[in-house]
Amino acid sequence: MSDKPIRILYIDDEEHNLHSFKATFRKQYDITTTISVIDAEEMLETHDFNIILADQRMPVMTGVQFFEKIRDRYPKIIRILITGHTDIGAAIDAINKGEVFRFIDKPWDYTYVENAITHAYEIYKTREDLKQRNIELQKANEELDKFVYSASHDLRAPLMSVLGIVNLALLEDDLQSQNEYLELIRKSVKKLDTFIINIIDYYKNARGVPVITDIDFEELITEVQATIQYLPEYGNLKITSTIDQKGLFRSDVMKLRIIFNNLINNAVKFQDNTKSEPYINLKVEASPTGAKIIVEDNGAGIREIDQDKIFKMFYRAGATNSGSGIGLYIVHEAIEKLGGTINISSVYGEGSIFELNIPSINK
Amino acid sequence: MTLIDIILIDDSAFDLFIYEKLLIKSGITRTVKTFNSAREALKYLTTEESRLPETVILLDLQMPDMNGFEFIEAFGSVSEEIKSKIRIFMLSSTIDSRDIEKAKSSPDILDLLPKPLEIDLLKRKLAI
Repeated sequence: MSDKPIRILYIDDEEHNLHSFKATFRKQYDITTTISVIDAEEMLETHDFNIILADQRMPVMTGVQFFEKIRDRYPKIIRILITGHTDIGAAIDAINKGEVFRFIDKPWDYTYVENAITHAYEIYKTREDLKQRNIELQKANEELDKFVYSASHDLRAPLMSVLGIVNLALLEDDLQSQNEYLELIRKSVKKLDTFIINIIDYYKNARGVPVITDIDFEELITEVQATIQYLPEYGNLKITSTIDQKGLFRSDVMKLRIIFNNLINNAVKFQDNTKSEPYINLKVEASPTGAKIIVEDNGAGIREIDQDKIFKMFYRAGATNSGSGIGLYIVHEAIEKLGGTINISSVYGEGSIFELNIPSINK
Repeated sequence: MTLIDIILIDDSAFDLFIYEKLLIKSGITRTVKTFNSAREALKYLTTEESRLPETVILLDLQMPDMNGFEFIEAFGSVSEEIKSKIRIFMLSSTIDSRDIEKAKSSPDILDLLPKPLEIDLLKRKLAI
């Protein structure tokens, strides 16, 4: 059960019933009472109740009539009828028209009422949870749909490019152009491979079991740097790193590697060739509470209109030189899973600064 | 055979390179203009307007910023003069049935050609 007490509306024209109910249960539940069905309807407009208890015999309308009236408008609220003398006709009406969950006999018995309320609330809660799950499921399905659509494009497009190049190469006798075509095929295959690796990273990040270990940032960054310096786009880029690690920092090394890999890769890919000294500065301050990581570059920068969209799945900011738009999405997911945050400040044409704050997972 | 003017719109530098070469090699065209952004291509069409020769556009579908369908939507509001000179084919690797349906039902798209482009197919579609 949640920490909030169960919210109950109780309607009975006999005021002493309301008083005694309130006196008995006020510590357990959040109780609102009224002697009038008209007031009750107004309360339903403005308040959020889990359960309604109504007396059957009331002036203006009976409890069943009242339930029948409000049923469609407030289907979530569980209805319990309190009745003194039940005849079979009223009982049938209560079930068929009022769709009540329980009857409570007057004079009511404490345990019986408590039981009825507990069960009613369980039903309320289960229905709400189910609704919530359905919404989440629908969202997950939509995302999956989008994922399959975009992923199939990103898997197929480089293959079709290769096929196009092969078709073209078959028309060509000149050996020199053949080599040029092979080079294009190589690039296209490389692009496809990068995408597949990204998808696997994404999957591991989303579904994999996190493995929390002591993190050595020095080692991690050296490792990531080693894979990056062989990239054809690397050029004369300078990467400097300042690492200040005091005490143990614990986290999921897989996710951290994905984060560093993507951020540094992007900085390499989007370096500004018109600048004489392209650089990436990495700064890490780590302690047993958390790590602050800064990745700063003097690359192409990110347009202001793109800055809040770059973490979206398959969003590609640039028309040229861009990847599939999944890298920063994975970074964002990984950081979120680690309970951290990422902020970006960037000036288009000047460079970008990514600032990450990631808590240490001490367990 | 009369040579046709062709505009290629594709965010992939590879594909622009490949299809420009292929089209020129095929002998159906002498000039291929390439755009890696649909927005830029649209700007070109509207600024050229009266100077525009009769042109066939090969339009990619999935592109950042403005995709193929968004281009078609924006193309809907260009002048009649431009429209009368332009024939658009969508050229895409998509196998998504919704995309195919949408492309086939659009009055501004003559047809959806699969990637990689086959010159013979294009020739047949252009009846040359």
